[in-house]
Amino acid sequence: MIPRGVRYALSGISWPLYALLYTPLALVAYYSFAPAPNEAGHSLHAYNLLLHDGDVFSALRRSLILAIGSAITSTALGTLLGYGLCRFRTPNAKGVLAHIPSLIIYTPIIMPSLVFGISELIFFNLVHNATGMLGAGLETMIIAHITFQVPYVALTVYARLAGLDRYLFDAANDLYANGLKSFLYLIIPLVQPAIIGGFMLGITLSIDDFTISFFTSGPGSVTLPIYIYGAIARKGISPEINAIGTLMIGTIILLALIHFFITRHRDRAGQFAARGSIS
Amino acid sequence: MSASVPTATLHPPKRGAISIRGITRIFTGSTPAVDHVDLEIHAGEFFTLLGPSGCGKTTLLRMLAGFETPDEGKILISGKDMEDVPAHKRAVNTVFQSYALFPHLNVEQNIGFGLRMKGVKTPERKKRVNAVMEMMQIGQFATRSAAQLSGGQRQRVALARALVNEPDVVLLDEPLSALDAKLRSELQIELLRMQKRLGMTFIFVTHDQHEALVMSDRIGVMSQGRLEQVGPVLDVYEKPRNVFVAEFLGLSNIWPITPTGPHSAASPIGELGIAAPLNGASMAMIRPEKIWIYNDTAVPKDRANLFLGTVREAIYMGASTQYRIELAGGQSVLAFDTNNQAAERSWRPGEPVAVELKPDNIMLISP
Repeated sequence: MIPRGVRYALSGISWPLYALLYTPLALVAYYSFAPAPNEAGHSLHAYNLLLHDGDVFSALRRSLILAIGSAITSTALGTLLGYGLCRFRTPNAKGVLAHIPSLIIYTPIIMPSLVFGISELIFFNLVHNATGMLGAGLETMIIAHITFQVPYVALTVYARLAGLDRYLFDAANDLYANGLKSFLYLIIPLVQPAIIGGFMLGITLSIDDFTISFFTSGPGSVTLPIYIYGAIARKGISPEINAIGTLMIGTIILLALIHFFITRHRDRAGQFAARGSIS
Repeated sequence: MSASVPTATLHPPKRGAISIRGITRIFTGSTPAVDHVDLEIHAGEFFTLLGPSGCGKTTLLRMLAGFETPDEGKILISGKDMEDVPAHKRAVNTVFQSYALFPHLNVEQNIGFGLRMKGVKTPERKKRVNAVMEMMQIGQFATRSAAQLSGGQRQRVALARALVNEPDVVLLDEPLSALDAKLRSELQIELLRMQKRLGMTFIFVTHDQHEALVMSDRIGVMSQGRLEQVGPVLDVYEKPRNVFVAEFLGLSNIWPITPTGPHSAASPIGELGIAAPLNGASMAMIRPEKIWIYNDTAVPKDRANLFLGTVREAIYMGASTQYRIELAGGQSVLAFDTNNQAAERSWRPGEPVAVELKPDNIMLISP
């Protein structure tokens, strides 16, 4: 039991915290409805401007290509990585060896994106200078985004698989499924919720990312976050920027809701799975 | 070797027969889990691998299934060498201790998984799945998920999932250990009937000696990766080869002996007459239920191996009572007496009694 005094104190802290979190978001939304020049009251002027701004749309288009392209690829690669790390871990490993799978997955996640971005930049420069390929642009950005998303997908897939009865794999094998068939008829259906979750996470991370994108983009590959940064640097925060922000907040909330409903469904299925195994 | 060729053609290995030759499995950095095991399992036999946890019985089973690769030796199933045959190509199916039912499939789909992987078409598959579900009396659960079943029902589904494929051999890895005692003994009998009816070879792994005695045609007792004794249930229980087997299967009285004549030996409880030829044996064993107890006033005359003593402990167990009787020399013997009278007939601690160890009930064992 938490003492009553502590409980009051905690709720006393929590409300200002919520306010701190959500007031700025609300302000962005509020300022996006700023009046048009020489007019009074709220208006959709900023949204109107946005609708006719070709640069914003091409930046958005690039962001979406980047997000979806990198998320699809990283989901496929991350699923395989998560599966491999789980399936081929050495059962008798001790000490550091036993933690190699989690080390492999976690290290890129905790790496500051600044370090990540700079190292990608150096790497791409080297390759470009040596071979003429991989000039800074959407390609390099997609590669960089795949790289940083893979661990997140692998982590969700690995966590799902590691929580399963390990004899399930033997059972599939015992029932005439070779490696490929086990993967298609057992692994994929079992980790499907994790795959969807990982894909959603990848998209969110990609759209959100500025640092890594900034270091790996070229002159012709301005994505939405880079466009916004450039716009603010040139003329400060305009209602148009606030309108973009508001639309992004809306999209992210929508995605978060979708993810919530998917994972809620998965958790229910997971409960059944957990009760189905005896350890 | 030329003589063995016609013999082999006259008696082709039967479907379901297993031949294990010098199998060894060593996990890195530890003593061998399975150490040069030789074993012949007959077609259609209910064979039990019995031993304490960590004795290598599960590893041996997993090598038969193909989940583990032996470091040395050969396994032949139905006469075919399994060396390069992966698990998914062996005509062997396993019932796992955890059942390992697929959580994303319902009962029907779980049972049909093997046939589906083998490429058996839907109408045929449905027919066979329905037939096995009827046999196991689980038809009413066809569309339920594994999580919605009780332990006993899951066990049936796991068995059905193996049997539907009509394998040469069914491997069972402690499949009853998660169930409560009553359900367990019911399923023991059911499993046994099923095996006799289908005539498949069943290899059953357990650490429960009672389960092994109830179910098996033959038992192989394992300890520290080695087979201590293989034989029909009766032989292994009545004539254990060594101290480990004697103690693992039931209770026993064991004494070191020094032969003093062709049928007599000195032991810590006194001179023993032993029917079996001694041949330099160093240990003798007698099961508690083979010891006769008398009131000290009604001791028969002129019998061999009669010892006077005092009851120190009497444990009533329903059908029988277990006594610890301290003999005159300070040694204790363990004896059972059947409670075969309606009126209580048992001895109480402190009562003087006599015990008789009949010479042909004493078995010679090695250390």
